Amino acid sequence: MELIFIALGLYALGTCSLLLPARGELLAHRAGTFLAAGASFLVFLAAVDYLLGWGRFSLPQAGLIPFASLGQFSLAADLWSGFFLALTGLSGTAVSIYALGYAAHYQGQRLSLLTGLWNLFILSMVLVLIAGDGFTFLVAWEVMALASFMLVYHENEKKATVQAAYQYMVMTHLGTAAIMASFYLLGSASESLVFADLAKNGLTENLRHVAFAFAFIGFALKSGLMPLHVWLPNAHPAAPSHVSALMSGVMLKVAVYGFGRFVFQFLGAEVFAYGLVVMLVGLVSAFLGVLYATMEKDIKRILAYSSVENMGIIFTAFGAGMLLFSLGQTMLSLVAFGAVLVHSFSHSIMKSLMFMSAGAVMHATGTKNIEQLGALLKKMPWTGAFTLVGCMALSSLPFTSGILGEWLTLQSLMSLADSAGTQGLRLLVLVGFILMGLTGALALGCFVRYFGVAFLGRRRSGAVLNAHEATCSMKIGMGLEAAFIVFLGLFPGELVSAAMHALGTDFGSLRGSVWGVFWLRSMTDVAVYSPALLLVLAVVLLAVLALPLMGSKVFAQRDITWNCGTLPTRRQQYTATGLSKPLRRAFTSILRPRRERIFLTKEHAYFGRRLEYRLSLPEHFERLLYQPAEHLLVRLADGLRVVQQGSVRLYIGYTMLAMVLVLIWGWAK
Amino acid sequence: MNEIGFLLGVKLLQILPLLLLAPLVAGIINKVKAILQKRQGASIFQEYFDLYKWWRRETILTPYTSYIFILAPVLYLLTSLMGAAMVGYLDGSFAMGDAFIFVCILALGRFFMTLGSMDSATAFGGMGSSREIYISVLVEPAVMLAVLLNASRYGSTTLSRMAIDYGDIYFTLPTVLACVAFFLIMLAENCRLPVDNPDTHLELTMIHECMTLEYSGRLLSYIHLGSMVRLVVFLVLWGNLYLPLAIPLAVKVLLGALLIGLIETLVNKMRLFKVRIYLSAAVVLLMVAFMAEAW
Repeated sequence: MELIFIALGLYALGTCSLLLPARGELLAHRAGTFLAAGASFLVFLAAVDYLLGWGRFSLPQAGLIPFASLGQFSLAADLWSGFFLALTGLSGTAVSIYALGYAAHYQGQRLSLLTGLWNLFILSMVLVLIAGDGFTFLVAWEVMALASFMLVYHENEKKATVQAAYQYMVMTHLGTAAIMASFYLLGSASESLVFADLAKNGLTENLRHVAFAFAFIGFALKSGLMPLHVWLPNAHPAAPSHVSALMSGVMLKVAVYGFGRFVFQFLGAEVFAYGLVVMLVGLVSAFLGVLYATMEKDIKRILAYSSVENMGIIFTAFGAGMLLFSLGQTMLSLVAFGAVLVHSFSHSIMKSLMFMSAGAVMHATGTKNIEQLGALLKKMPWTGAFTLVGCMALSSLPFTSGILGEWLTLQSLMSLADSAGTQGLRLLVLVGFILMGLTGALALGCFVRYFGVAFLGRRRSGAVLNAHEATCSMKIGMGLEAAFIVFLGLFPGELVSAAMHALGTDFGSLRGSVWGVFWLRSMTDVAVYSPALLLVLAVVLLAVLALPLMGSKVFAQRDITWNCGTLPTRRQQYTATGLSKPLRRAFTSILRPRRERIFLTKEHAYFGRRLEYRLSLPEHFERLLYQPAEHLLVRLADGLRVVQQGSVRLYIGYTMLAMVLVLIWGWAK
Repeated sequence: MNEIGFLLGVKLLQILPLLLLAPLVAGIINKVKAILQKRQGASIFQEYFDLYKWWRRETILTPYTSYIFILAPVLYLLTSLMGAAMVGYLDGSFAMGDAFIFVCILALGRFFMTLGSMDSATAFGGMGSSREIYISVLVEPAVMLAVLLNASRYGSTTLSRMAIDYGDIYFTLPTVLACVAFFLIMLAENCRLPVDNPDTHLELTMIHECMTLEYSGRLLSYIHLGSMVRLVVFLVLWGNLYLPLAIPLAVKVLLGALLIGLIETLVNKMRLFKVRIYLSAAVVLLMVAFMAEAW
């Protein structure tokens, strides 16, 4: 039984909800999200079944579905797409359940359209993953881009949203153009667009480099790698939260899928320089992404920049795998590719959890400025606990799934240093370790800041006063993802074996077992991480340490904080901006913040002055890269105006000239 | 099942000596400092008395705090003890002692400690968190490089494997450089001079003490015990990785304690923003060591 076709049908049915009239939009919304959740669950089920080899359902195997007027679309899934289908299905299910409650507050704001597009968005992502030829892939890719554009555009009453949506649209089409160009090169060399034929392309060496460059640019843009990330921190905050959850959680991974398909199936990873470029871009994105995340004040922009970071880690692992492969270390490269898959999966669940929680916070307080939150853990205990899990995972702490991918990435970098032997590669690994170290510590700082400022301490503004806990369906959606984070963090065995299976190997160098012990073979030794054993140890210790704190007497007394003899006020707490100040100062040469201090009245020199302080982080990428490109484009257009004067006589002259040229050409022939 | 139970038993046994002796090491450092400064100083068992004192006193919470505030000291001590279990100085079993995981376990303690200090909603708590994060970001590249150097040298990221005697590597240039660099890391990670001053309660200088300011009673004793155990864990690691295996571990730990006492007498606390330079020195030393390794 091809479960996935039922799922596709359900999505299509859900998409129809956008046709329903505004009167019944709440009903349409409920039906639509219910369909999306059910269909996503079917996708998850089919993919997991396929990956773990239970053999109850099957995925389409290079089957052709003829459409009379549209030519032929072919669908084909393999293990690589199966893995990404699983993460799409899982996050799709959880976020759809969440959307049931969350999106309901869009009632009166084109709710049925939102739900319909939601279904179309997930449908298009699934279609990208099971596309069997370049044409289907590109059509599905374009539908995905347009559906997500319209979802970002949903709150178009706000000016910032419109700007962000159009920026996203332009950027994503640049990416699509690059991917199309790569497909064109491959397709013309193999005279077919079916993936199986593209694999046998006879590209010359130079054209292969060009095709790789186009593919990398296209997919790097979609996955938000620096310096092509500029759309991402704008589009994610603009979109409704459940949309950003899926865009960050799944759509970015679809780009990883596409890049993997190009590298593994079409272009090959043998060329050393490919891996080098991918790894360096990944490292820079990881470091700069998290550095910017630590500086942001908008909670959704923090999460967006953190996505840049995590995509950077994924591509670092990808690059390391390609380098190892090009050096002939096939077994070791599998560890790195395993890291790509494991981190993709865990990032998809933790980032969609975090965006859902950000949505719940925004819904409860009406603000996404972290400086106006605080003390939310008491008002929203469930959301707070789930967010804590998400923050721990994103800081790659043990007992969460976040650590797995990072650990494997570091291990594969390590084996790169071991296998290389040359000083150049050792230097590369050295730089990699420094940047990964900075990234890891900054991520921890970033999410301590996120959780500490938003959920702990005392409230920082009146917005928190009326905050309320998220509704039931939102809690279920978040809880599902949080449960997966903890479960996979403790028992990574199945995830690891699914990843190894997706790479087409049966437990070559990376293995997980029931006891949660999971090990990999490096150059000379094995490395082991056993979260379940560590957990047993931790639980024993926790019991010993918690026992003296039990009993009613220990915490009997509560008293106000000692504040050097004065009463503490809420405003004495560190702000998020203040918290990241030492880091801003340490990395000032990279961030180049702009500070402005204005003394409003000239009274006493030290006391009672009113002053204004402004801090901004200019967008250096836009200033240095995008604005010059834009100016160049405008100048070129200006240049073209010479031939486009708008005078009828001139155009008749052009026609004449063209005719004369054609005549001369014909005569010469 | 039996094997796992045995393994856990050994690990728990390993924790005990470090847990019991950690206050003594802290007391020795204080005594060394006192002697070098020509003071009488407190007894080397003073830390035990202090811990007992805090243990008996009542614990006061501020009204704004949540459960994170209580959880933080418990997890801080817990992760220090898990670190003690992972350094593996008694047995060669490697199921738990991966170097990266060790770093992450300690990071777990730091994560909750910084959150706990923010939970008290004072200026000091935030200041402590902010500075702790800053220091940890700067120290992390050096930590990673130290792991890289050792792991590529021994072909394993398992801590207990790294501590096996490899003969004549101890007096080579990379080892000496890495030994110095690791000592610098240790001072920064454990909030000692010149990065942080464990003796003062002056807001301009303190980092770790800022975070503990709102804690009292048993929770405070947990934090202090946690940082003492953490220091000893680092000393054990330093001794095992960089000093010849022939010297008994206790001597190496004592040597480290003497060195810390000496350094704390000789150097001043650095300005917070100068720490960057100090830790770059550790990074550069490790880079040179790593590149020299393959020459």
